[in-house]
Amino acid sequence: MNAGADGSLAGFRVLDLTQGLCGPFCTMQLGDAGADIIKIEPPSGDFARRMGPPFVGGESAAFLSLNRNKKSLALDLHAPEGRTIARQLAANADILVEDFGPGRAHSIGLGYDDLAPANPRLVYCAISPFGEDGPLKDFPGSELIVQAMAEYTASLGRIGDPPVRVGADVASVNTGIFATQAILAALFHRIRSGEGQRVAVSQFGTLLHMRGIMWHSMTDPDDWYGFHLDHYTRPPDYGYQAGDGALYFILRRGSSEDWDRLVLELGMERVLEDPRFGDFGRAATSIGRHATAVKPIWEEAFKHRPRQEIIDLVKSVGGDAVPIMDYQSLIAHPQVEALAILVDVEHPTAGQFRTIRPVARYSETPDAVVSPPPLLGQHSVEILRTLGLGETAIERLRSSGTITGG
Amino acid sequence: MAKILEGIRIFDLTLAAVGPWATKLLGALGADVIKVEAPGGDRLSHAVPPTIKGDSVLYISANHNKRMIELNLKTEADRAIALKIIEKSDVFVQNMRPGAVQRLGLGYDVVARVNPRIIYVSASAYGRSGPMAKEAGIDPTVQAFCGWCSVTGPENGRGEMYRHLAHIDLTTATTITQAVLQALIARERTGRGQHVEIEMLTAAMALQTTRLAEYFATGEQPRPLGSAAATTVPHQAFACEDGSFLAVGVERDEQWPGFCRALKLDELIADPRFIDNPLRVQNRGVLIPILSERFRTKPAAWWSIRLGKEKVPNGPFLKYDSLRHHPQVRQNDHIVEIDTPHWGRLQVDGLPWKFDRTPAGPIRAGGKPGEHTVEVLAELGISDHRAASTSK
Repeated sequence: MNAGADGSLAGFRVLDLTQGLCGPFCTMQLGDAGADIIKIEPPSGDFARRMGPPFVGGESAAFLSLNRNKKSLALDLHAPEGRTIARQLAANADILVEDFGPGRAHSIGLGYDDLAPANPRLVYCAISPFGEDGPLKDFPGSELIVQAMAEYTASLGRIGDPPVRVGADVASVNTGIFATQAILAALFHRIRSGEGQRVAVSQFGTLLHMRGIMWHSMTDPDDWYGFHLDHYTRPPDYGYQAGDGALYFILRRGSSEDWDRLVLELGMERVLEDPRFGDFGRAATSIGRHATAVKPIWEEAFKHRPRQEIIDLVKSVGGDAVPIMDYQSLIAHPQVEALAILVDVEHPTAGQFRTIRPVARYSETPDAVVSPPPLLGQHSVEILRTLGLGETAIERLRSSGTITGG
Repeated sequence: MAKILEGIRIFDLTLAAVGPWATKLLGALGADVIKVEAPGGDRLSHAVPPTIKGDSVLYISANHNKRMIELNLKTEADRAIALKIIEKSDVFVQNMRPGAVQRLGLGYDVVARVNPRIIYVSASAYGRSGPMAKEAGIDPTVQAFCGWCSVTGPENGRGEMYRHLAHIDLTTATTITQAVLQALIARERTGRGQHVEIEMLTAAMALQTTRLAEYFATGEQPRPLGSAAATTVPHQAFACEDGSFLAVGVERDEQWPGFCRALKLDELIADPRFIDNPLRVQNRGVLIPILSERFRTKPAAWWSIRLGKEKVPNGPFLKYDSLRHHPQVRQNDHIVEIDTPHWGRLQVDGLPWKFDRTPAGPIRAGGKPGEHTVEVLAELGISDHRAASTSK
């Protein structure tokens, strides 16, 4: 049951006090790397278990996608005995991850300063929506709110229309990646120096970092143009519509001969007179200066041709072209199979479900998907026994509602 | 104070954004990052507008915390110099098209022979096998391919691209940074280096793991919903009386009663159609019109005050001009200013993490192509005509 014995983090113990999407994505990555993850959930369960429909076998699809390789302890942290158990587990942990919000962990005796005296080697990671200083530090966040406040919505939709968010949960997943980095960096330092420490990441800080090219661009640009600037005012970009679907293409390489051939094949000789198509068309596609203005000219040439024919033609002249895909076409694509990106996991109530493998492939210490996401409190008793609690004590905790589950 | 990656040297053979942003973050953690470029620098990133004082913002922003050297790896002499640097390095990162680095004679087998403890990272768009293996990929092409446009866009509208073309690049970059740290830990434990492979496509799909999970669960394409979340309700923008939009996010059931009180819709708290999140998602079509009508009766500020008192997540749609000096941004160093030798005072992305004991940074500007060639070669004790021509 222990996750990947060959993984980079085999043997490290993680106490996971997070819920939702962000923290669980972080601890899933640690578990993929072989660390043992104890996920403490309130007796009602991680709220992500109720994010849906869709549900499969009583679990939300979102929860299933974020909690493999973990064990669940359903524990009431409002109860003093519950906190004592959490502190005992923290005393034996190498890593603790929490997302209660600034100051809240300390208010229940689980802050870094509460735990470090007994466990100075602990790597303690705090995740917050907006950061630990400033007027908004105590504000609650959500995926949309962080996207909205980090101006992610300024690069989507049409000016004057209702806002559009990025469909993926970027404020959560990308913060989970930075949290994992911070933990790994602090763990590396601990291995070399013996000392633990507290690290912190925020969702707002994450998305502002991810738009970092923007802040440079706005410093004092030589000109207001280029895709780091004009996306504020461009209309929505759907790619280029062909006869049977949309594609996206770029002309980055290619010579004069290639360009002539492309123009002739597409019956676009007229554009040879058009200065916007100069530089072998590079300024007329993708991130080029004139791409938006001339898109209708390309689409006029594409509209009676199958998409694949245009993709092949663009590639034959040294360009790059791909279809714009939905999930069905993506999942059916042979490239996804060639890279074995999908894994099927057997779950006690959901049956077999499909998910995305760990991203990085390590030749010597591979990540692995070893166990399915836990049922709520599935490992409560097993975990309490490791603390030396006997049947009577466990039964008492159960009858008082401090713990639930098997 | 010691930096976390003090003494770790990175041989950085990266291009454009994906590789460079990854090593920039390792530099912020204290690694000695030596960015190796062909003479004239990384043509790809230099070609991308906008520019500051003539240099591409992409190049400037992705290459902080490094030293820039130039080597012509197509010559034996410079390749020999590269191998000497590699001998003294801990990490090798490259994101060329599959096959290109082998043609330069710096594939994993060669590099690992020279330095068996090295962590060698290969990042690519689509990996080295399969029908797409030979394709170059950049942020917008991977965006198009990876499916995420199909879940982004106005409700009942077409799926659209994220027009700031860096999110997939940087997501892949941060995955590389994470993998290097993980492999460094593994090396401390096993004594061995290894080869790590990362594809933009896989990183982009992992980024969508929750949305793809909806597809796997139902077999149906999740539709774009404008600002709305698919699996939590109400979690979207509402138009208010003053014409502005307010983002609201009820992700947890315990936030629902406070939300209803803030809207003075107390009768909804116990309404059996909306009592928990799964029911609100199922009855979205009934609930949202009720809420939309309500929000339109008062300005956004009014609702924001009331929701804030009830601890219900809410916020405005900010833009650069309101973000730049926002006290939350300033006090947390989410955006910071640094002085640079070539580009004046720059406003840059802050560091994404805070370490209590071993602070990362400070952020340093990188340099112009080849700016540190002589310095680095001299420091590593590598003799070369370039060093000879400038030293006395």
